[in-house]
Amino acid sequence: MVAFAKIDPVALAVALGCTWGLILFIATAILLIKGAPPGGEAGPHLSLLGVYLPGYEVDWPGAFLGAVYLWVIGAVAGYVLAVLWNLTHKLYVALIVLRAMWWKMMAE
Amino acid sequence: MTSNSYTGTDAGAEDNLDEELIRATVKLNTWILAGVFGCISGLSLCILTYLSLYSSHPDTGHFLNLLGVFMPGYEVSHAGAWIGLFWGALLGALLAALFYRVYARSIGVQIERYCDSDINSRELFGATLLFDANYLGLALGAVVACGLIITTNWLVFRGTADHSVHAMLLVNYLPGYTISLTGSFVGALELFGVTYLMCLLFSRIYNGVVFMRGRGK
Repeated sequence: MVAFAKIDPVALAVALGCTWGLILFIATAILLIKGAPPGGEAGPHLSLLGVYLPGYEVDWPGAFLGAVYLWVIGAVAGYVLAVLWNLTHKLYVALIVLRAMWWKMMAE
Repeated sequence: MTSNSYTGTDAGAEDNLDEELIRATVKLNTWILAGVFGCISGLSLCILTYLSLYSSHPDTGHFLNLLGVFMPGYEVSHAGAWIGLFWGALLGALLAALFYRVYARSIGVQIERYCDSDINSRELFGATLLFDANYLGLALGAVVACGLIITTNWLVFRGTADHSVHAMLLVNYLPGYTISLTGSFVGALELFGVTYLMCLLFSRIYNGVVFMRGRGK
């Protein structure tokens, strides 16, 4: 049954949210620390994430805002992933039990 | 003697049965993870494409269009969103299956850990999964590193390495990375290291929350 162990949805949501949030924060921070090229802006391509994450820009407030956004997205993704995983396992086990009951009934 | 011999055969048969059961479970879990991940990644790409289509931002889909290099037929359009759904689902499922095949090598270790603990068989039925940080890092690190090698060398193979200015932006995060065979291996090694570290952090947080909620044994 260990291989059928359930994933804790809350734990996966927290862990995935924290990791994704941290990744975007570090990605933004690296560009900010490196600085913008002369006459240019820092991270023009990463700042395009602002299309999907309103308000996000490659600056320090943007790094924190992006981390919060990714925390929420990661948490939702983690929760959904865990629920789907657990549900599929439950359905599969239920199917096996039903099939066994059916064959038993037919044999009798 | 006869009794001993019988017990040995019986134990051997039971071991074989256990191995068979673990193999079947790993196969099932691979299918489930591939299915779940395929659905999530396919739908994500489809939604992102539609968001780009209806965004008021000028030239939103320009960079998303570049995915067409790796996913033939994909572009930011209504038809492209559905082609993206197909490719996203296929690639997501393949990567998830590859990941789980490597990670499943930790199942033996996990079973031993459960057997060594004082957990009873009743509790085992409601057991909550704990991640093995080392195997998780190795599995995910290997998948993303392979992904970087394949995508980089695909650009080299197409002969567009010199024009791949966007892929070159990775050098901001992976020093020494270039669009070449050597560069792809340097980048893959660094990416493996970063992913491994992130997996250590992820596992620590996940396992910590599970224990905090009193579900870890």
